[in-house]
Amino acid sequence: MSFGGEVTVITEPVVWSLITAVVKSIILISVAMFHVAYATYFERKVIGHIQVRMGPMRVGPHGILQPIADLIKLFFKEDIIPHQADRPIFYFAPVISFVAAISSLSVIPFYRDWYVANINVGLLFILAMSSLGAYGIVMAGWASNSKYAFLGGLRSSSQVLSYEIAMGLSLVGVMIMAGSLNLREIVEAQTRYPYGMFAIPQILGLFVFLVAAFAETNRSPFDLPEAENELVAGYFVEYSGFRFALFYAAEYIAMIVMASLLTICYFGGWTLPPVVIEIMPFLSVIPGIVWFVLKVYFFIFLFYWVRATLPRYRYDQLMAIGWKVLIPLALLNIFITGTLKILDII
Amino acid sequence: MSKIKEIINKVFLIEILKGMALTLSRLFTRPVTRQYPEERRPPAPGFRGLHALARRPDGTARCVGCGLCAAICPSECIHVYTSEGPDHQKIVEGYEIEVLRCVYCGLCVEACPFQAICLTEHYEYANYSRDDFYMTMDRLLENWDKYMAGQKGEEYFKRFWHPVSNDYREYEGQAVFDPERYKRRKGRLRNIRGEWMVTSPPNEGDKI
Repeated sequence: MSFGGEVTVITEPVVWSLITAVVKSIILISVAMFHVAYATYFERKVIGHIQVRMGPMRVGPHGILQPIADLIKLFFKEDIIPHQADRPIFYFAPVISFVAAISSLSVIPFYRDWYVANINVGLLFILAMSSLGAYGIVMAGWASNSKYAFLGGLRSSSQVLSYEIAMGLSLVGVMIMAGSLNLREIVEAQTRYPYGMFAIPQILGLFVFLVAAFAETNRSPFDLPEAENELVAGYFVEYSGFRFALFYAAEYIAMIVMASLLTICYFGGWTLPPVVIEIMPFLSVIPGIVWFVLKVYFFIFLFYWVRATLPRYRYDQLMAIGWKVLIPLALLNIFITGTLKILDII
Repeated sequence: MSKIKEIINKVFLIEILKGMALTLSRLFTRPVTRQYPEERRPPAPGFRGLHALARRPDGTARCVGCGLCAAICPSECIHVYTSEGPDHQKIVEGYEIEVLRCVYCGLCVEACPFQAICLTEHYEYANYSRDDFYMTMDRLLENWDKYMAGQKGEEYFKRFWHPVSNDYREYEGQAVFDPERYKRRKGRLRNIRGEWMVTSPPNEGDKI
């Protein structure tokens, strides 16, 4: 009889944590999708104004409803599958891309306790997920049975693989300084310093991470996998309707994830530098989520800003930057950080 | 020294930062976009738009059917049909312009001895069928009423078109070139922005 009781004792917290996880995930996904929709709008507006245009203006005041119109359009578009496409893979590829992108959001602490999962290898999880996203791209390129998609997929896979290394190595500096892979602990480790962010001691790592983040998310100036003027749209040329939207969303979520990772690993996440708090103590009244969101928005803006400024790199230049500049720089950064850590200076 | 500068430029990505500063400054400038249907661009004075046939004060067409416009038209898009009425009078049966073939050179306006045809400032006449661009006489007269009626038409005509007939005077029932008239007119050409090109604007009541 006690057996039944035992089961309830065990299952209740499991069920409860399952429910909270599901609720949290739903909230997170809906907020993330809202951000994705408005990130596209924001991008078009920012790039428009930088090019002395206006961007979308027609749907609603100043085009504010444009993403909703786009979404409705994508829903009702015909779902076209190329004649000799590898159907199962073709169906599956956007799902992989999207799932990989959105699951990295689950480990990001937006505020002290605002996360879906607080795992002790959060940083590794995000790196793993962003590499997993490349599978979606490669599979899409392969399954489309189109030369443009195939070239896009190939370029993307080699690019993501190359820059993955640089990115991982650049984060090693952060790991050494924080002594943890848990993103929350990384943020808390930064508050131990008066300047409150790793961006200052890890300036080299920050640079490498920033460049690698652009390449990792296939954003300009490293947007070779989807170079419009060479490959039409790259790996998702043959996709239409909602599958296309999944790829698109994955790209923007990856951008948000990279912006969040930058904020968390180098700019103190939701915290403000203790120096600033000391000068202006009233700022500590504002909840940390505001600072986190502002920082993330700034980095998303940076993505657009760079896109509006820089032309695309050539493929050999891309590889040269990755292997000959970023990786040695990241290794140097690890060496310096490690030495300083051993000498107990930082 | 320049070598060091070059290295510094490369290491700190000075060029890229300069570019970023430029694009950021652009972000805060006023966009040059015109929101077209709401914000229309006023046509430049002397703009050559849709055709119109001028009316006399009594409402009939000024056109006498001489066919000079049709003769000079390089794209041959003007068709004039006339017949002989009572008392050997020339009657204009029809005057048609294929607008889609017109090149808007304005030679017809200059050729017309009676200032009967002109190009209005109206330029928004997109339509769904080719027939809509086939201007019959009635439609051409209608265009005059719509876009050139009254003072505007007269002024516009004289300022920007200077029909050749202006340079001729009547002489025993026949037009004769008048160098004085031509010189007088020369002083008052306006450029495309409507500014007077030479010396003074015309005095009030001056016959142009």
